[in-house]
Amino acid sequence: MSRLLRQPMIVVGGLLLVAVIVASAAAPWLVAADPIKPVFGQRLQPPRGLGGAAGHPLGTDNLGRDILARLLYGGRISLVLAAGAVALAAGAGVVIGLAAGLVGGRLDALVMRLADVQLAFPVIMLAIAIVAVVGTSPAALVSVLALSGWVLYARTVRAAVLTIRRLDYVEAARTLGAGDLRVVAVHILPNTLAPILVLGSSQFATMVLLESGLSFLGLGLQPPQPSWGLMLAEGRDYLSNAWWLATVPGIAISLVVLGANLLGDGLRDLLDPRLRQ
Amino acid sequence: MEKPRLSRRRFLLGSGAVLGVAAGPRAARAQARRGHVIAGLSERMLTLDPANHYSISSTSVLRHVYDPLLDVTNDDKFVPALAESWKPVNNTTWRFTLRKGVRFHDGTPFTADSVLFTLKRVRDNTKLIKSFVYQDLEDVRKDDDYTVTVTTKRPFGSLPAHLTMLGMLPPGAAGNEDAFFGKPVGTGPFRFVSWTHGDHVDLEANAKYWKPALPKVEKLTVRFIPELSTRAAALRAAEIHVIDRVWPDMVSTLRATPGIKVLDMPAVEAQRWHFQLAREAGKDPRIRKAVSLAIDRNTIIKELLLGYARPVVSPIPPGLIGHTNLGQKPYDPDKARAILKQAGYQTLTLDFVLMKDLYPKQLEIAQAVAAMLSEVGIKVSIRNLEIATAREQRTAGNYDLFFSGWAHMPHDPDWYFGQWFTRAGAEKLTRFSDPRVEQLIAEGRVPDPKVRQQKYEEIEKILWEDEPEIWPYYSVAIYAISDKLRNFEARRDYYVLLHEVGIA
Amino acid sequence: MRSYLVTRIWQSAVTLVGVSILVFVILRVVPGDPAKMLLPEGAPQSAVDELNRHLGLREPLWVQYGIFLRSVVRGDFGQSFQYRSPALRVVVERVPATIQLALTAMALTVLVGVSIGIVAAVRQGSAYDYAGTVLAVLGQSLPNFWLGIMLMLLFGVTLRWLPTSGFHGWQSLVLPSVTLAAFPTALVARLTRSSLLEILGQEYIRTGRAKGLGEPRVVLRHALKNATIPLLTVLGLQIGTLLGGAVITESIFAWPGMGKLVVDAIFFRDFPVVQTILILSATIFVVINLFVDLLYTVIDPRIRYG
Repeated sequence: MSRLLRQPMIVVGGLLLVAVIVASAAAPWLVAADPIKPVFGQRLQPPRGLGGAAGHPLGTDNLGRDILARLLYGGRISLVLAAGAVALAAGAGVVIGLAAGLVGGRLDALVMRLADVQLAFPVIMLAIAIVAVVGTSPAALVSVLALSGWVLYARTVRAAVLTIRRLDYVEAARTLGAGDLRVVAVHILPNTLAPILVLGSSQFATMVLLESGLSFLGLGLQPPQPSWGLMLAEGRDYLSNAWWLATVPGIAISLVVLGANLLGDGLRDLLDPRLRQ
Repeated sequence: MEKPRLSRRRFLLGSGAVLGVAAGPRAARAQARRGHVIAGLSERMLTLDPANHYSISSTSVLRHVYDPLLDVTNDDKFVPALAESWKPVNNTTWRFTLRKGVRFHDGTPFTADSVLFTLKRVRDNTKLIKSFVYQDLEDVRKDDDYTVTVTTKRPFGSLPAHLTMLGMLPPGAAGNEDAFFGKPVGTGPFRFVSWTHGDHVDLEANAKYWKPALPKVEKLTVRFIPELSTRAAALRAAEIHVIDRVWPDMVSTLRATPGIKVLDMPAVEAQRWHFQLAREAGKDPRIRKAVSLAIDRNTIIKELLLGYARPVVSPIPPGLIGHTNLGQKPYDPDKARAILKQAGYQTLTLDFVLMKDLYPKQLEIAQAVAAMLSEVGIKVSIRNLEIATAREQRTAGNYDLFFSGWAHMPHDPDWYFGQWFTRAGAEKLTRFSDPRVEQLIAEGRVPDPKVRQQKYEEIEKILWEDEPEIWPYYSVAIYAISDKLRNFEARRDYYVLLHEVGIA
Repeated sequence: MRSYLVTRIWQSAVTLVGVSILVFVILRVVPGDPAKMLLPEGAPQSAVDELNRHLGLREPLWVQYGIFLRSVVRGDFGQSFQYRSPALRVVVERVPATIQLALTAMALTVLVGVSIGIVAAVRQGSAYDYAGTVLAVLGQSLPNFWLGIMLMLLFGVTLRWLPTSGFHGWQSLVLPSVTLAAFPTALVARLTRSSLLEILGQEYIRTGRAKGLGEPRVVLRHALKNATIPLLTVLGLQIGTLLGGAVITESIFAWPGMGKLVVDAIFFRDFPVVQTILILSATIFVVINLFVDLLYTVIDPRIRYG
């Protein structure tokens, strides 16, 4: 644990993430404003520091709602959705990639061709198909998001497996009787950890942005519930005259990505057996 | 830089006038015609065949290449184009007298044969999108080279309005339509040069256009830019000269940019939110009334549309036959609550379905409406769906309120009534059915405008009372132009017509 | 090796057929009626049925697929429902713009991303490294449309250095490709950095220094070679994103690319265009991934298949 804390990146990244998560979770206690109810007469107010009225530190949106409130409440939904999607995509992708690389042969071929097939379909089409079957719901949205992301992990892990399993010392370990699982746990996974952590922490932002695109297109979350994705989408048409609508959630996403990146890189530095400073 | 150019032109034109006969109208036209206008439109044109689309944008663009028999002006009058005059001979017969001396871009003369070909083609080729409109044509007969008589199966009073949208084709296109529409030829002020699907279309002036001294510019390019920010940016960067479908919120940014003018016109368009009359909420006229009372239309107009909309006083918007004044719908949330309580509804949930991106600010407005209705105890669940799915849901009747609108196409309410307020038409839509209305619609089909006005007013009185739909506001069409553009007319029907514009 | 190639080609063919069937079926099963999309709201149901009949959509699914296969073999991908022109022509019209954007963005990604990654890794912990991290974060998290519109407003409207939109000349390529490349560049930078750090940690210390080679040579030769595998994986997938997933960038910059074409076609239920694009892009994907897999064996002979 102390080693954990000695890595500045982990600390900073972790703190950042924790701060955002706690702020979002504590939204009802942090802000008094209603994130849903429109308030006519105070539309598109700039943030407090840039000429806006008091009481709205981050300004108001196109329906007069307090942006800070929407940001915090929206964070709950977006963080959970994006994290869930990344976890699902990474989990499924790693397992599939491992299986394909280790077992090889027909399974490998089948999986990789399935990945090819799926990649040929734009996410929007998958989204329309899924929504048509199960309707618009957070679960459907997470499935679509995860579906769009698993291949990256699968491919990366598979490539790593193919490289590593032929390494001399691994072959040696196997002749000495080490079972597949041990080989996986000891040799393969740690080596794939680095790219997976990097990919995972990058993908978080992608998931939020994808959620934004899908919600905007009517395939994701529906207004008036706030989510960072919806805030981005609604702010898109106001970029020329009320830039804070889209920029504020964009900054929030950047902070989360920064935290996730630092945490990811830090953890990788810590856990990667080959990397010693 | 400007002055010398202008005075030189004036000098030349002036001397042309002085010299009179020798200079001639064509020389004057040639000297007056210069410049390259670029327009940025929000809706893509999908085809070069006037009979194969039903879109405002395509009609607007194709109007530059083809002429129809008649045009509609910005104050809603029908004026001659390729037809010099037209009149109803009886309830099921129209006679058109055609203009002489007009030629297609390839030199062939425009005669009754063109009209016969164009009309018969759109009626008989059921693969064409507009075909269903012309199924009521019984016969199209050529009386002589410049007179055509059209007989219809039942009264077709709206025929002239439909004809404003149908460009006339040369009979030579028969038999090789694919080749023809690869490089089409019309009688319009501009000739077709090239088209990149979904991106832009290039046109050049028709030097021999039958209207004198038109067009004023040498070249015209229409770019299709659906994204509003991009359209506005292109105008602000002086890359294009005119954009359409500007949002109210964009107006101040555009006005603040030097070199740009913003123009707005009350549009021939009414927003309509129709109830699904077969579901619980829509079936009960008390609920409909309560919903109508709970919506503060004036706040929507003032706060969300920034004044760029007008209160509705009849279902038919101003500019179309039948428009009348039935007063404004009141806003009375207390009364709404009382009605709901009396009817025994504790809580009510309405599904409000929107078609993605169809109308400016629709999502914003829907959220405002949801808030207003929650004040009277109605919970609204907004479903912003992509268009194809939304349509399927509507056919299936899976909605309570549907965000829609009615733009003029054509400049006549008959077709709109026929589709939405007859039993057969509304069967797979709102499930509306009222025999009185049905009868009046049939009676309103005759060509006599006085009769039509009266019948439509009666229909509207019934609908106003019955409220199968909410009519929140009439739209306002907002355009923005470069101040280099001269003589641009902001139209109420969202057409962007550039025959008469000039470039400074 | 050769048998592997043959197997892979055969598998690719099967994949493509699978894709075509899947596309075909999904399009027709998902709700949404092409005739309704073409006809105006409230057109009579008889007109809708008639148009669907003309579009060939009233036949049983397998009959439609048979007709489709037979025409594809002849090079005829059908008539676009939207444009009433041959679907293949509509799609091919978009190829130049798409390729230019994709290649430029890809070039930017590799050049800028790898450079940032190298600098950050070699100067780990320094100001360069932190700057690289910040850039990477921004690149990943800034929404595409935000970056695009901001760049457009700055360089197009305020400074008027570059065109705001459209496809004409190299100037109009700059803003869209920068916008499109932002995310992959960030990703590549991070991957390069992390892969390099791993390698630098081990081989550099052991082999290079012992040989007495200069630092740059060691870095470039040994390290990059090993970092290439994960990079290639990502790049291979990014090509797909750049081709078909550039829809937001293309929308913002009115760029006539295939991304926007396919999304519009999906919303419009323009089956022939969707089918054409998806089959074509599946082909490209399959070919690229075949290529990437083969590259793996060239770059790292330890990877062997079969």
